[in-house]
Amino acid sequence: MNAGDDSPRSIADLISTVSASRLTTFQQCRLKFYFRYVLGLQRPKTSALHVGGAVHETLKYWNKARWRNESATLKQLHDAYLGAWGEAAASNGEVEEQKTGWRLLETYFRESPIKPDEKPEAVEVSVEADLAKHGLPKLVGIIDLVRPPGIIVDFKTSGQTPVPEKVAHQTDTQTSAYGVLYRECTGKKETSIELHHLVKLKNPKLVVTALEPATDLQKTRLFKIIESYVNGLNRSDFIPSPGLQCASCEFFSECRAWS
Amino acid sequence: MAVLLQITYQKKLGLPNFSSHSCSVSVQVEVADLSHVAEENSRLYKLLQASVDEEIQKVGFMPDATSYGMKDGHEQQQRNGSAGGDDWQCTDKQKGLILRIVEENNLDKNYVEDLAKELFGHGVKSLNRLSASGLIDELFDRFPRKDKGNGQRGKYQRREQSRR
Repeated sequence: MNAGDDSPRSIADLISTVSASRLTTFQQCRLKFYFRYVLGLQRPKTSALHVGGAVHETLKYWNKARWRNESATLKQLHDAYLGAWGEAAASNGEVEEQKTGWRLLETYFRESPIKPDEKPEAVEVSVEADLAKHGLPKLVGIIDLVRPPGIIVDFKTSGQTPVPEKVAHQTDTQTSAYGVLYRECTGKKETSIELHHLVKLKNPKLVVTALEPATDLQKTRLFKIIESYVNGLNRSDFIPSPGLQCASCEFFSECRAWS
Repeated sequence: MAVLLQITYQKKLGLPNFSSHSCSVSVQVEVADLSHVAEENSRLYKLLQASVDEEIQKVGFMPDATSYGMKDGHEQQQRNGSAGGDDWQCTDKQKGLILRIVEENNLDKNYVEDLAKELFGHGVKSLNRLSASGLIDELFDRFPRKDKGNGQRGKYQRREQSRR
């Protein structure tokens, strides 16, 4: 992680642009948002995050190869994975975690609905949408993959098998944002939004959840969430939201000390 | 003594996509004296509310949120200098970045044109914002910036990636 990424940021900066990840954190817990984005408190990456990051990088390598009309061998993909993993396995003794990540990828390459010769429309692409006409800040994001014809794909690593109805709701802010971003950048409506969950089980599995294009209702909800985000930041509304999610929160002790 | 009573009833309702519409009705009546004001006010309020409620149910024209204003929006952005101009379909920022990479690396413009055609099947100028962003990433991959780490894109991208 780049040190500069977690530096404290002003409220004005955080309001000038907004991303799905920031919105989601704000929705989860405003105090967590405050610790992470306003104060820029840094925490070591959890092993789950590390696996997720290395898996994402390898999938990017795989997708980029097809995008460049090249092919990637399994060995090249494994090398890319080890490169993305870095020194963590040696220094932290996380050999098992490293193996888990590669098993996930092997499963994905074996079971992926994406054909080896399918050329993506875009890979890990930075996009933005100017929402000034709605009185809102600029929306920015990075879309993992766009498959033809206009299928937005987001890769996720997870410890549990996702339930389609729940995951649609849980990722609503993110998928709605991607829909808005895609339309703004292409002038076209996405065909669908696919969530590719790589599930970390004893026998890893791939679960693909295909969602309909973002609806007008979802778009309105997203805009209201962005409006609430802006208003909340302007009010310095950073209250905690105690709940089950706190068990895995990296700012647990700071939160307990909050008053 | 005759008393003039003026009453206005107004209702504003939200509509999808951050739209709203409103209806307002006003009347002015003459009542015989002050003792009739409360009764007349109550009667008129009910009358006007019923009238507004009936009318405001007619939503009328509702634009398709996926396309309404898109063309106008792009034209407006071009006038504001946000879109590329000179027939470029991407934004000014993207156009500037592509031209800067070409200049900084002494690239032949035909090389970038051929790369765009190879990757997207279109020339650079006709790339939409999504494709232009992909082309910029590819150019940065092939020609890493000497001051890498300070570029806005690189900084933003790493920030987002660290937030997955």
